[in-house]
Amino acid sequence: MAYAYLFKYIIIGDTGVGKSCLLLQFTDKRFQPVHDLTIGVEFGARMITIDGKQIKLQIWDTAGQEAFRSITRSYYRGAAGALLVYDITRRDTFNHLTTWLEDARQHSNSNMVIMLIGNKSDLESRREVKKEEGEAFAREHGLVFMETSAKTAANVEEAFINTAKEIYEKIQEGVFDINNEANGIKIGPQHSTGGGASGAGGAGAGGAAGGGCC
Amino acid sequence: MLSRFSDVLQTAADVLAPPATRLEDFQYHWKMIIHFYQNYDDNSKVHIEDTRIPHHLHQMLQLIVEEEKEQQGGTVGPCLEAIVQRSVCLLDALTALAAADRPPGARSLALTTGTALLRRTRQPCVNSAHVYRPLQRMLIQCNENPASPTEKEEVELLLTLCGLVRKEPGLANIFTTPFVEEKSSLLSIPEDIQRLIPLKSKVQTPKKNPLFEVEMAPNPMRNISLVRTNSKEDNGAITTSNSSVADDNVSCKSQKTVYEDNDKFLLIDLLLSYLNSADNQVVLRACEGIMIVSSLPEDDIANLVTSCSPVCETIIEKLAEKYKSVPLDVDPNDVDHLNITWAYVAQDFGDKGYNRFHGYRELTSFFSWLDYCDTLMKECHPAIASHLSRTFRAQFLEAAGELALGSARSATLAAALLAKCLRVVDSQELINEFSNWLVGDGEMSEWPLLLVLINNCLSDDHDLTLETLRFFETIVEKGTEHSINRLVLSRVCSRGYYSQQPVLEEDERDRLNDVSLWRERERNREAMKQLQHEDHVTEQINDILQHEGLETKEQPDTENIHRIINSFLLLLPRAVLSDPVGSDYEHYIHDAQRHYQLWLDVTSNFSWPSDQNCGDNTASSTHSYDSRPEADIHMNEEFQPLHQTMDHKDTWIKDHYPMDDNNHFSQKLVLRTRDVNTTAVEEEFDEGPFFRMLFKLLSNMPYQPYQVNLHLTAIISKLALIPHPYLHEYLLNPMLPTSKKTPTLFKILQDVARRLTMEIPRIKNYKKVIESTRLQLMSEDPSYDDRGDHNQLVESLIVLEEFCKELAAIAFVKYQHGMHMHG
Repeated sequence: MAYAYLFKYIIIGDTGVGKSCLLLQFTDKRFQPVHDLTIGVEFGARMITIDGKQIKLQIWDTAGQEAFRSITRSYYRGAAGALLVYDITRRDTFNHLTTWLEDARQHSNSNMVIMLIGNKSDLESRREVKKEEGEAFAREHGLVFMETSAKTAANVEEAFINTAKEIYEKIQEGVFDINNEANGIKIGPQHSTGGGASGAGGAGAGGAAGGGCC
Repeated sequence: MLSRFSDVLQTAADVLAPPATRLEDFQYHWKMIIHFYQNYDDNSKVHIEDTRIPHHLHQMLQLIVEEEKEQQGGTVGPCLEAIVQRSVCLLDALTALAAADRPPGARSLALTTGTALLRRTRQPCVNSAHVYRPLQRMLIQCNENPASPTEKEEVELLLTLCGLVRKEPGLANIFTTPFVEEKSSLLSIPEDIQRLIPLKSKVQTPKKNPLFEVEMAPNPMRNISLVRTNSKEDNGAITTSNSSVADDNVSCKSQKTVYEDNDKFLLIDLLLSYLNSADNQVVLRACEGIMIVSSLPEDDIANLVTSCSPVCETIIEKLAEKYKSVPLDVDPNDVDHLNITWAYVAQDFGDKGYNRFHGYRELTSFFSWLDYCDTLMKECHPAIASHLSRTFRAQFLEAAGELALGSARSATLAAALLAKCLRVVDSQELINEFSNWLVGDGEMSEWPLLLVLINNCLSDDHDLTLETLRFFETIVEKGTEHSINRLVLSRVCSRGYYSQQPVLEEDERDRLNDVSLWRERERNREAMKQLQHEDHVTEQINDILQHEGLETKEQPDTENIHRIINSFLLLLPRAVLSDPVGSDYEHYIHDAQRHYQLWLDVTSNFSWPSDQNCGDNTASSTHSYDSRPEADIHMNEEFQPLHQTMDHKDTWIKDHYPMDDNNHFSQKLVLRTRDVNTTAVEEEFDEGPFFRMLFKLLSNMPYQPYQVNLHLTAIISKLALIPHPYLHEYLLNPMLPTSKKTPTLFKILQDVARRLTMEIPRIKNYKKVIESTRLQLMSEDPSYDDRGDHNQLVESLIVLEEFCKELAAIAFVKYQHGMHMHG
């Protein structure tokens, strides 16, 4: 299917916080309570629409276990967006955020949009990390914040789509060089090199042309 | 049908009787599986997905996962224990199913079930014989049939085992051959299961399975099995969990030091065959598995990988293959713009339409693999990294170099590809291999390959020149101490360019300083403008110097830096300048500051004489005499004794390098070598092949394409930034006393400027042409290069003009840095 842009995302965070479940909920709209341990990377993809444009999200779900850190790090490069996930019922997963953030910033491009996600919001009774704490952390580090539940699907769509919106805005502002694939953004097949450059400026016209093309 | 009926019966029974325990449930599903196979008719063509087997297996798995959640302190629950004790021989059954594939689809199901069991449970008890034996057997099922319909499931199982080994390195023993005791016992499936799930034909030894390439030692006793096979002991070990696992690891290490030729690391060797899969997802998994195992910190595992497994060789061989498959006629610019990381291919190659330009797929595949090698280099154990990098040079670089020796077209492509390779590679060891390969690592100072490449720069084929220059630009950019020494410093560091009778370009000095000439020129209107221009430039420089924090009055040397900057900025007369205002000096200064800092960082641990070596006042005099040409006026007398006798020279060295004994020694050596080989003053300085090439191209600037000149001057400014005192004065001191025949950057620039100043005014409307050419060049319009109507002469003038600004900025920034260091 034709798309105007492709954004590469990574999902990172401690093991067991629900990274793979978030991905499954977003791509397949289902929840699977028992999930296989992720080793290396799993891919997911979904098409979304922003500003009338088809955007393909290519999502790289990485392993959270410390033992596999060396290999997951190599997947950070070339991502336009990252979902940094912790589990609101396990404080240690929140405490490790700084390490994750440092790792991500060190191994990816500086413009990467990072969305902080406190997952498992359905388990209110077992909550160990207050929502305010998540908000404060996000504010302090310049991240966007959201609490989600991969089980009930609450905020899952929003988390992925808001990250995409943020990236899209950065493209419009010219922060991202869309011709450099190292930024995790690729111009879709219907935008040839010429069209890509003007795509950011003439959003309305570009959207119409894109529609006709499919 | 029958099984479904039993299920219903069971459900009915549950209503009447108290619910079964989890173990009973578990045993029930197991019995249903046995029952199915006892009654299985080989003639039935039913697919496994249409039977109840997947359901039962899934339930059994589910029960194990559920019970684990309830277990305290890592103990093993009754269901898993049933497997460990082999009262439920589920794993043996899975192995048999994987081998027999009855009913059709069973093989895939067995592999995924085995994988899921390992991935869903936190403690899968792999070090129990009844778990690892079937797993070993299952691995053998992962044979090397390249188009195996279950290759995805096979590679997932392998990756999972790699993951388990990564978490618990002691488990590696299970997958190395000394611990795989008997081939026959591995091949044979336990009789009870064989009776249940017979194979249609006898188990055939997989032809290419690495395990069976091994000739087992006649006496298996030499290998002490570290994995306990006694099941009773095993159970004890499992229930006490972690602590005993740790003990195992310790004992493994102490015994696993020497490897025999026949040793194999099954896990990694098996993965290698999947690297050739047509399915990128499968290749990705194999790559991940290799990376996981290679990144284990255990020395003995790393040694096993390098000494007993062809993994490094296979990976580099693939790189060389992919390199060779790049079509000869790809556009070097496409190579330059490519941006690929590994694992990326797996996603992208799905849409076949994504072939953006000629050779895209081949290039993507090559650079993605290179990125994998580079990533692997950075993540793997140092022993593996050094083996891999050696292999990289021996098998890839040497082969790639052959292309550089071929036709102009293949040499152009080779230069473009290798330049890009070096640019994207991040691992220092690979960069070192690159530089050693290029400049040689023995004592021989000129390497045949290097000479060929230098020659290629001088070819009539501008594409070849351009790509080879780009390659050299990258070599300089990613310079190692060794490559810069060989390529650039080997001659310069003898300081042989320096001549005791300074041949100053008198007229140049006069032009700037002589008062009588000044008066003469006043009569000429153009000369007047030139003078105004010079004043303006001087003023501007003053402004900049002050702005950058240099107090003109306090530093006696500022006069000299002024002269140097003036020499560059006033090299071209105002009449032919395209941008006489020079509004972008500051831009150049900031660029130079940034790049100089990078160079300082890179060279900080090089054993060069440098600013950093000088600590106190005495030493700072070294600095001002050697590393800053702007002090050369004073240096003339100081250097007098240097060229007289050896004794004096030693004194000079002591005076100038009082702080650093190493430096003292190396300098002395250098000076002696020079003295032995030469008869002092008349000797001609040989700048070496690399500088000779650069200078030759530089003097040819007016007749070369813009792009060539751009890259040429880029290389030279990079060299000028390098913080080495002799290189610095050789390139950046216009007042350097040299013998007449010794070529220097400034002399060549003067010559080019002279020719351009003569020829350009002959162009009709030359001022207009200069102006419009500048505009076009600055607009960075990509279509400009393709147009045929450029004026090469004027373009080279503009390159020269900008280059002079850049050199002036570099000289200034280095001076400024010296001031900060010693001020």
